[in-house]
Amino acid sequence: MAFADVDGPLVIFSSDQIEQLHRRFKQLSGDQPTIRKENFNNVPDLELNPIRSKIIRAFFDNRNLRKGPSGLADEINFEDFLTIMSYFRPIDISMDEEQVQLCRKEKLRFLFHMYDSDSDGRITLEEYRNVVEELLSGNPHIEKESARSIADGAMMEAASVCVGQMEPDQVYEGITFEDFLKIWQGIDIETKMHVRFLNMETIALCH
Amino acid sequence: MEVADLAGKIFSTWLTLMLILLLPSAFGVSLGISELYLKILVKTLEWTTLQIEKGVPKESALKNSASVGIIQRDESPMEKCLSGLRGRDFELSDVFYFSKKGLEAIVEDEVTQKFSSEQLASWNLLTRTNINFQYISPQLTTVWVLGVIVRYCVLLPLRVTLAFIGVSLLVIGTTLVGQLSDGSLKNWLSDLVHLTCCRICVQALSGTVHYHNKQYRPQKGGICVANHTSPIDVLILTMDRSYAMVGQVHGIGLIGTIQRAMVKACPHIWFERSEMKDRHLVTKRLKEHIADKKKLPILIFPEGTCINNTSVMMFKKGSFEIGGTIHPVAIKYNPQFADAFWSGKHTMMSYLLQIMTSWAVVCDVWYMPPMTREEGEDAVQFANRVKSAIAIQGGLTELSWDAMLKRTKVKDTFKKEQQKNYSKMIVGNGSLNS
Repeated sequence: MAFADVDGPLVIFSSDQIEQLHRRFKQLSGDQPTIRKENFNNVPDLELNPIRSKIIRAFFDNRNLRKGPSGLADEINFEDFLTIMSYFRPIDISMDEEQVQLCRKEKLRFLFHMYDSDSDGRITLEEYRNVVEELLSGNPHIEKESARSIADGAMMEAASVCVGQMEPDQVYEGITFEDFLKIWQGIDIETKMHVRFLNMETIALCH
Repeated sequence: MEVADLAGKIFSTWLTLMLILLLPSAFGVSLGISELYLKILVKTLEWTTLQIEKGVPKESALKNSASVGIIQRDESPMEKCLSGLRGRDFELSDVFYFSKKGLEAIVEDEVTQKFSSEQLASWNLLTRTNINFQYISPQLTTVWVLGVIVRYCVLLPLRVTLAFIGVSLLVIGTTLVGQLSDGSLKNWLSDLVHLTCCRICVQALSGTVHYHNKQYRPQKGGICVANHTSPIDVLILTMDRSYAMVGQVHGIGLIGTIQRAMVKACPHIWFERSEMKDRHLVTKRLKEHIADKKKLPILIFPEGTCINNTSVMMFKKGSFEIGGTIHPVAIKYNPQFADAFWSGKHTMMSYLLQIMTSWAVVCDVWYMPPMTREEGEDAVQFANRVKSAIAIQGGLTELSWDAMLKRTKVKDTFKKEQQKNYSKMIVGNGSLNS
């Protein structure tokens, strides 16, 4: 069973992997056909993650599920689950340049959606601050001010990359997706954002 | 007339069979029947494996999945992963790392894995482990059908009868012994009753237990600590020597009756549910018990709940604060013959049924040298030290997760740790770009 990508006939997961993921899906959903946000509370490893709520939200984000330009779904079925998982597939060596670029763009788009919580197509200063605060939320010694200044500094750097020199009273409205791509141009993010499945055959025969 | 004759004959053969199985085991003597049975079983299972290997095409070979893990996790520490492409100040890319980690956790987390049964590398002819194995050949199916018949029609009735006899004897025996006044005679008789009934019950499960390092068997006045896989652990350990058990009173029902009977004969420590929550009360009672050197060693399972026997989870510090000598014991079941893990999903009855229709219960018990708390070591460190020792001896992996996560959520303190580490990295180096 091949899982066909919307943009082209790429085989993303093998039938083994789909079987594994289906079992995991059933475990998470408690044998129901759909998963809701509450089901992710049963993953202890996830509790340690500072941007946990953003990751869970990403699973239900209509933009990631390709169901609409904004909004959140209430529940997702197995196909939606696989759609989200496909954003994290590793870059295959057999892919040609065009496919690699496509893959990369999809991954960056996933991340962009994570930052851009109001779905207006721009990462504003507020949204950026929000992410930084979440990342640093666990530490009681960092005040809100420090978190804000980190966010402001990072935003300024992004602005200088995207817009170049700004006039003193020019307001930078926010990072658009094109700007986002520009920031990451030439930098290899592929290995940072993939989940690699173990090859089943190589394990099985040793006993 | 003939039917009655036949029935009579069946009944008498049944009875003789019972006695042949019952009496020797009750006295701890082995007739070698179990060894023979196990040998035949092992040969059959080897043949099964060969059949499967022959029958399955190369590409879709034996699948050994969940126990190994399905994704490759990058275990390198956070610092290394985040040492980014543009220096150590805060970057957009840090979100990459956490999203990846988050997704890895969603696809596979080590805690949930430990509460589902271990997957086998090769089929052991029980349907319940047959998730990964499809139809192979007619010979295999025939053997499987034979197996089903043997297990359900021959072994199961035998085992149920034995178990019934064992439990009834226990209840009757302990009640009788309880009538005696306290003294060495009572203790000796109580020991005898417990041991005999235990042996009968273990025989009812076709249990074969190997005890290693008997010289370290727990002594009186000590605390015995073991990893927990199922309620049968208690039977396995009690077969070698008696223990004073600690646990919750179960009220009405089979277990409650057994508990009440047992406590008449020897001082087990049963708590009311309301008392369990009061830790000081519990600790006090346990301390009183071990202070009396003539009393039996206490048996405690510090994990608090059943794990699937591939790893050892966090030991709760309560048992290690009492003081006294700790005698660690490692228990490892052989998954080829039965899946001994009791996940809370099954009731006790269905679990017993599952065990009684498995091939056998084969396990190893390792007694280990006693340990005491060292100077400057607190209860948590001591607990971890004992846990590591048990894990190494039993060949199990170690996890520091709390087994109670099966039912509850992660404590906030744990959550904050990760976030603290990350924020220390950004701010701690003094590299705030404000």
